[in-house]
Amino acid sequence: MSFIKKQSIGIWMEAATLLLGIISFIVYSVNIAGAGYFHGARVDMAVRCGVIGLILSAVSIVLAEIPLEGIASKLVIMLSDCVRIAVPALFIAATLYIVSARVEGFAFIYFSNEEVLQEVQTAANLSSAHGAIANIIILGATALIGIIGAFFTTKKKNVL
Amino acid sequence: MRTKKMVPVMRGVSACAASLLVLSSFGASVANTYRKNLDDVFGTTSYVTSTDADSARFVSDYETVEDMAAAAKDISVREGQEGTVIMKNDNNVLPLADTNQVALFGLAAYAPYPYNAGDFKGGNDDAVDLVQALEDEGLTINSTIKDFYVNDLLNKHEIVTQNQWTGADETSIGFDYIYNTTVGDMTDFAITEVPASEFENLGLESDWKTKVDKDNTVGICVFARAGGESNTYGTDTAVNYAGEATGEDPLKLSEDELSVIDAAKETCSKVIVLLNTGNAMMISDIAEGGAHEVDGIAYIGCINDYQCIGIADVLTGKVNATGALTETYVTDNRSIPAVQNFGGDYYADAETLAANAENGYDPRYPKTEISNESSASSFGGGSPTYSAGEYIVEAEGIYVGYKYYETRYFDSIVNPSYNAASAVGATQSDSWNYDSEVVYDFGHGLSYLDYEQNIKSIEVEDKVDGKVKAVIEVKNNSDQDGTFLAQLYVSQPYTDYDRKNDVEKSAVMFLNSAKVFVEAGQTADVEVEVLTKYLSSYDYKNAKTYILDDGDYYFTAAAGSHAATNNVLAAKGKTTADGMDAEAEGTASVWNKSEFDSTTFSIENDVPVTNVADDADLNYWTGEDTVTYLSRQDWEGTYPINYNKDVEITIADSDKAEQWIKLLKGQVYDIATDDPATEGEDKGLRFDSESIGYEQLENVNDDYWNELVSQISIDEAIGAVIHGGSQSDTITNVDNPIVLQNEGVCGINVPYTDEETGKTYHFNVSSQTLLGSSFNPDLAYEWGLVEGNSCLWVERYQLWGTGLTLKRTPYNGRNYEYISEDPMLTNKIGYGIVLGCTEKGIINGPKHLGFNDQEHNRNGISVYMTEQKFRETDLRGFQGALEEAKGLGIMIAFNRIGPTNASAYEALNTEILRKEWAYTGIISTDMMNNMYYFSPEGSIMAGITEMADFATNDNHINLGDGGVDGVWPYISEKTVKNDSALVEKARENLKYQLYTFANSAIMNLSTEKVDVWWDVLLNTIKLVSTIVLVLGVAGYVTCSIVAIRRKEEM
Repeated sequence: MSFIKKQSIGIWMEAATLLLGIISFIVYSVNIAGAGYFHGARVDMAVRCGVIGLILSAVSIVLAEIPLEGIASKLVIMLSDCVRIAVPALFIAATLYIVSARVEGFAFIYFSNEEVLQEVQTAANLSSAHGAIANIIILGATALIGIIGAFFTTKKKNVL
Repeated sequence: MRTKKMVPVMRGVSACAASLLVLSSFGASVANTYRKNLDDVFGTTSYVTSTDADSARFVSDYETVEDMAAAAKDISVREGQEGTVIMKNDNNVLPLADTNQVALFGLAAYAPYPYNAGDFKGGNDDAVDLVQALEDEGLTINSTIKDFYVNDLLNKHEIVTQNQWTGADETSIGFDYIYNTTVGDMTDFAITEVPASEFENLGLESDWKTKVDKDNTVGICVFARAGGESNTYGTDTAVNYAGEATGEDPLKLSEDELSVIDAAKETCSKVIVLLNTGNAMMISDIAEGGAHEVDGIAYIGCINDYQCIGIADVLTGKVNATGALTETYVTDNRSIPAVQNFGGDYYADAETLAANAENGYDPRYPKTEISNESSASSFGGGSPTYSAGEYIVEAEGIYVGYKYYETRYFDSIVNPSYNAASAVGATQSDSWNYDSEVVYDFGHGLSYLDYEQNIKSIEVEDKVDGKVKAVIEVKNNSDQDGTFLAQLYVSQPYTDYDRKNDVEKSAVMFLNSAKVFVEAGQTADVEVEVLTKYLSSYDYKNAKTYILDDGDYYFTAAAGSHAATNNVLAAKGKTTADGMDAEAEGTASVWNKSEFDSTTFSIENDVPVTNVADDADLNYWTGEDTVTYLSRQDWEGTYPINYNKDVEITIADSDKAEQWIKLLKGQVYDIATDDPATEGEDKGLRFDSESIGYEQLENVNDDYWNELVSQISIDEAIGAVIHGGSQSDTITNVDNPIVLQNEGVCGINVPYTDEETGKTYHFNVSSQTLLGSSFNPDLAYEWGLVEGNSCLWVERYQLWGTGLTLKRTPYNGRNYEYISEDPMLTNKIGYGIVLGCTEKGIINGPKHLGFNDQEHNRNGISVYMTEQKFRETDLRGFQGALEEAKGLGIMIAFNRIGPTNASAYEALNTEILRKEWAYTGIISTDMMNNMYYFSPEGSIMAGITEMADFATNDNHINLGDGGVDGVWPYISEKTVKNDSALVEKARENLKYQLYTFANSAIMNLSTEKVDVWWDVLLNTIKLVSTIVLVLGVAGYVTCSIVAIRRKEEM
């Protein structure tokens, strides 16, 4: 319990970022594995950005928990801060890669001519589109939490 | 302490700025890719076009937008006047007298199809529906029935939906009760007409019959059958009003509809039925001798904004009826040979067409499993497949529509040994009989005014580029002035040579038509011409070119294909005693060809004409006579079986299996690795009016064009072709204007808003169905001019502005976009439309060459046929527009021809279009929505100039991960740079495209990209976030250092 109590808001925000990032990755995986329009439609660059973002997010949490003193501590803090600046940018990039890859699909599913809507808006396609939208929203939320979290320190006690 | 507290603030600000920088930078890139779509959504204009009016080659004929709109409306009205077909007119029910009262029955009477604006309909504020048009003619419409339909059933209301992305309200028209507008994909089709038995339950007052003045009231029943992209009717799929499957044909009038007709017959003195559709319906129940026979039947097509005015003009006799049927109306669609092979199904061993560990992977997509499945429609999903598993055999050959029925009728009289009267193909009795099978023939259309048409003279120029010149004498036997339709038909000799070599001939063939005004009691001559080459037939077995048989050619002028057949029979000495169902109405003129000729038409545009499509024939692949194509020499023995159900096609059994599978998998061309291409080099040439003079406009092979495209980089040469859809982008070193591609089969669907008045005009007010049934190529030409002018007004220069696919069967959901079952009527109407547009500098590309004659599985189905059918049906329908009118654009079919994607079919795109027809225009694919089905390298080598993807600003191949193409990962600069032939072919294709731009109204203008508000917003965010990021990082570092020092000091 004391470990949990010791954690700062910044750590919780980073943890939330990490958690949301993982959830977005799961949603993405389910979306491309499931039936429907985006089945098999991988977006590798989004995955790369997302995975790097997750790794860096985890790194920032780990760095915050390492009990260091002196110059090493200061360097680690600065490194951690740089990572925390980069993490939301990476999730933003991942979001945009997904958006870019999904735009035409959304156009097919939602904006096809009236006479083909019945064909287009199948349960599978709509489910797939909803999954993709959820993926985008969660990724965007991940980036937003990351940005907000960057305003908070990850150390409960100020080491500076 | 203050400095220490600033550290997290600076970190947060930096994170925020970094994210915004990524958002704005990447967002700008994404937005740029979809610029055209964002412009549509936000109402912005990213490209400003400037036209130098003084030097423009193409200018509008109309000085004001009101004049432009009036011209479009005029054509629309005339389509109604000239396209309305009076199919039956007994008891003088038509024309309606102005003293008549009218009772309108049927949902479509008050909401004709289509009722919503969109691709099929303009949606102008002053659009006129049928009720208003009839009232404007002075007719009184029964208010009891009208009120019931309008208020109790239809209850027209606006449906407001919110655009999910912009949040803007979008309105469409909705009804409580309406006919079914969603055909679906060969699935159950509900005919939702409210039956008479439900009238009183749904609000019609119980004494309504007493409120119809029967003796003075004519009942008009209007029934609709809808259409739509991706839609195909299935046979026997009808569902009734109660929701029960009836097992009936969906194009047959349902019991519910017939009950409405019966109610009309009970309450009105006479009854007329109007058919509001693009699909030929089964209407024997209401025709002569039918159980629900009515007095009058008229075809009114699919209606746009103003056609009802013209339709009412015909119904009231304000103008003479001159429309004619573009399709044969049969008793039972099952009698149609083409219907025997419709829809398609899988090869017996279709699983061998998948890429997987068992079959082996596709070298272009290593270790990737690719399904063979055909998706139900082009929009069916985003999972790409080869879409290779299904096929269809168009075993009916040239015998589509009337060519089957008239020829079999002719042979039943002239050639008894051909077994025309056998039971095969008969649906009404044990032996085949024309009058039992056909209700109304192609070209049928009754005139109010009695008239005769006969050939006065016929001249056949038996030479290359020669013409058949007929003078048809039209005699007006009535006491009223009026316009009349003259139709020219020919009956070619069917010789021993033809029988020996399986050259098929229709007993009669429509050639061309014209309209002529004749004063009462007077006679007028009208000249009807057609190129002599269209008399020739393609012999794919022996001569392997076009032949003109020796023998007598009978030319006749007649009001329909059956009258033409009877005229020819009479000229051959036959009478009703020989089995003719009526005596001839006219005569036939004979032109004799003394010698068999296989040379005159074996050269086209200096190119030898010979077989190019042997591989479109299934027998080519099976190596045996698997398919027996319909031949008139034995109707019984060759009537088509179903080549999906009655025969098992196993690819693996073929000696050519390896090549067959390769083509089905889209492996049309192997990219070379040992022939380095030359990189483009800027030689200072540009696409501009200074460089493009008369010589360059006249000659696509002028050095300028070759030099111009030699400047294009390898990356852009390939990229601009394979990502050429939505818009043609500016190519580096060429500086061509950006050209947007637009939809508009009924006219350009981009509205024009008058800045002064704020009024919006829609110029897409044509009706393909009524333009076809007008049988008037001159009207088509006038529409083409108006369509071209309207494009100049809205400053859009490339559109898909007509459909010329043949109506092979009545079931195609997209028949409303097409002209006819007949190649030559399609040819002449297409010629008119495209010539008019071309003269205004507009690239009007007809859809969809060729054999895209069913929407079901259109994106991948293999269509097999003989080369005679290949050349004499769909291709002939497009030939007038592309070769004779020198059209500037074409959209290739979605389907395969043989096993090859039509877009990668060199025989079609290069051998026929580029070589035989000397066509120099744009060649586009249909929608590129399936990466495994479409082959970019195959399409380039076949001659495609633009593959129709949706993105813009994307004419590169390095936009995907790691420099590979964003769609086809095996395409990259690295993989194509060692294939000189591929790169040079791409440059050649772009040469044709740029040459077409130069010969169009695009040369009127220059295009300049401007920053719209969202560009400014994104750029501002980018700039501000960059500055904030720099300051934030600097502030963070500074605050951190200061904080550390202070702590040390403490």
